[in-house]
Amino acid sequence: MSIDIKTVERKGGTPQERVYLVEVFKGMAVTFGHFIRNFLDNSKLYVRHYPEVEPEITARWRGRHRLTRHEDGTVKCVACFMCQTNCPAKCIMIEAGERNDGRTEKLPVRFDIDLLECIYCGFCVEACPMDAIRMDTGIYALTGTERDSFVIGLNELLQSESPFTDEEYKKGSK
Amino acid sequence: MADTIKLSVNGVEVEVQAGKNLVDAVAAVGIEIPHICYHPALGADGNCRMCLVEIEDGRPPLVPACKTRAVEGMKVRLDSEKIKKIQRDIMEFELINHPIDCPICDQAGECILQDYYMKYDGAQSRMRVPQVVKGKKIDFGAGVVHDQERCVLCARCVRFTRLITKTGELGIVNRTDQARVNIFPGRPLSNRYSLNVVDLCPVGAMTSSDFRFKQRAWFLTKSKGICHGCSKGCNIFIDHNREKYQDDIIYRYRPRHNEQVNGYFICDAGRMTYKQENEKRLRTPLASGQQADLESAINALKRRLDQAANPFFVVSPNCSLEQMHAIQQLAAQKKATVSGFSEGYIQEGDGDDWLIQDDKAANRAAFAVLGIDETKEVFNSALKGADLVVNFGNDLSLSGVNNTSLGTAEMAFIGSYANSCADAAAYLVPVASYSEDSGSIINVDGVLQRYETAVKKNVPFPNMLSVIRQLGGGLDDVQAARTSLGNTVEAFKKLDLQNIPAQGLALTASEVGNVTA
Ligand code: SF4
Ligand code: SF4
Ligand code: SF4
Ligand code: SF4
Ligand code: FES
Repeated sequence: MSIDIKTVERKGGTPQERVYLVEVFKGMAVTFGHFIRNFLDNSKLYVRHYPEVEPEITARWRGRHRLTRHEDGTVKCVACFMCQTNCPAKCIMIEAGERNDGRTEKLPVRFDIDLLECIYCGFCVEACPMDAIRMDTGIYALTGTERDSFVIGLNELLQSESPFTDEEYKKGSK
Repeated sequence: MADTIKLSVNGVEVEVQAGKNLVDAVAAVGIEIPHICYHPALGADGNCRMCLVEIEDGRPPLVPACKTRAVEGMKVRLDSEKIKKIQRDIMEFELINHPIDCPICDQAGECILQDYYMKYDGAQSRMRVPQVVKGKKIDFGAGVVHDQERCVLCARCVRFTRLITKTGELGIVNRTDQARVNIFPGRPLSNRYSLNVVDLCPVGAMTSSDFRFKQRAWFLTKSKGICHGCSKGCNIFIDHNREKYQDDIIYRYRPRHNEQVNGYFICDAGRMTYKQENEKRLRTPLASGQQADLESAINALKRRLDQAANPFFVVSPNCSLEQMHAIQQLAAQKKATVSGFSEGYIQEGDGDDWLIQDDKAANRAAFAVLGIDETKEVFNSALKGADLVVNFGNDLSLSGVNNTSLGTAEMAFIGSYANSCADAAAYLVPVASYSEDSGSIINVDGVLQRYETAVKKNVPFPNMLSVIRQLGGGLDDVQAARTSLGNTVEAFKKLDLQNIPAQGLALTASEVGNVTA
């Protein structure tokens, strides 16, 4: 393998640049120019006014997880452990139990995700054969004062709704 | 060595054992002929046709490999388009009405349909009509749950109850897509080997209610072990797993093939003994009746033992050879009598003529080899004079010795499982059980077998050998104990105890009966 060598021309050699102070004032002029412009009218700022203005989240954006339900409200998850198996962070902890609602035979009696360990890769969503776990809640900001509060369980996961319709989600994930 | 013959598979010449069928013969040299209904313990039934192979220049040209004996010069073809098409077609046929329950099926991960689909099929389903609906989650008794939809009608389970247990609880009723395995009305599975159908079933049609939904198969570490449920010493797989933030726990035992001991099966009672490895364990060390940490409990016991005028050692018939040897050495040093009195471990008349034995202890045969007395007389007379009884895991309450009959002597207990002897002990040292330790044992038929550490607890219990060493014994570890056994015990002088073969070593009658008195 041959390596291309490109010689970059050195700058900063002109007498004006060597004097240095001139360049400093030129730089300060740019800085103050921006300052004064934004001071008089901040609508042209290049930064988002977070948290007053929230970012726009698309349907395929990977936010905090949720567990989906069938139309009759029963949990879709069948505790197959595919998500737990596929999770590279090993942060999903499931316990399976007997299901008696006539749908199938198995459901999760415990479904914990440690959100501090999660790397939001979405592998769990991809692994799920039931479309039972999604990351479409649009929740991107998680705060807490204790580590334990970041381990969310079955109820919390089932209660979250998605701001997106099914069509939007399906389109987004295509 | 058995006779060998030469035959060619896919044009490559291989040398295989004579007298076997094609499936087994070429499996021994690493060539897989897919088969569903054939199981070496049940013989060939020829009902699934997955094992069809082509015999070049043969009459007939297509044969089921499970029913065909391997003969010299045979030219077998597995890789022809015709055979591949047959395999695909059989798989499609098996899957026509299959529910593909894999997400909720306990067999997933060790299922023949999954494996063969990936290897020999891989096609999309062409089923456009509704699948046949059959019974699910049917209680067959004895802890077996049946799913008729998943069943591939290989009849392994049926043949097991007919040919092996000869109880015949299962049958296939109806024909064609209505065929299903069932029990006779009101007559559930009721033999003591019933759960073997769960292992035999190549798919998830037979599952165990005990193991149901506890773990997925691929999470389990499958370690080799020896069942300590009775003196047969059946070979098992100890399937265990350490869940996140939890301890290493055993979820099931499964039979491990050993022609010399248990064949392909184990009994249901032995299978369930995994539970006592998880529960009923001793955990808190005691020193003079007070809770203590492990080190101080052992040290306190050592001091007590050094002061004892008349120590008396009681050995459990479940101790390994190495442990018994170390106990004997320590006893000689402390001038203690050793007794293996444990008649209560024997349940007269409980055994059968197959695997289950009357004697529920795993290593009683070693008493004779090592010269450990197990008579009641010696036990009673030694007990009378003793001021300290050190009990190495022997549950004396089974043998009718209650704590009051132990008299004034102080009790020390070094063992793994909770029992009333441990309750009465002033000194208690919890030690690793057989699933967490290594050692060797001799079964009822004089087969010497070894087992290795399978389960590794987060906070491991000390093993009994190391506790004995801390009490003043001279053996460092299992290897040292084996060397010493080889040097001192007549029966082992000619044997290589460090390298007991995997299938065990059948001792001769004279070796087993040899009492070094
Ligand atoms: S997003 Fe990735 S890391 Fe987080 S739970 Fe899912 S698979 Fe695990
Ligand atoms: S969320 Fe999906 S992948 Fe995870 S256990 Fe439930 S059904 Fe299986
Ligand atoms: S028997 Fe096998 S293929 Fe059928 S559902 Fe169970 S794991 Fe899946
Ligand atoms: S239940 Fe299992 S072993 Fe019995 S016939 Fe069906 S597939 Fe074969
Ligand atoms: S294994 Fe030979 S026919 Fe089933």
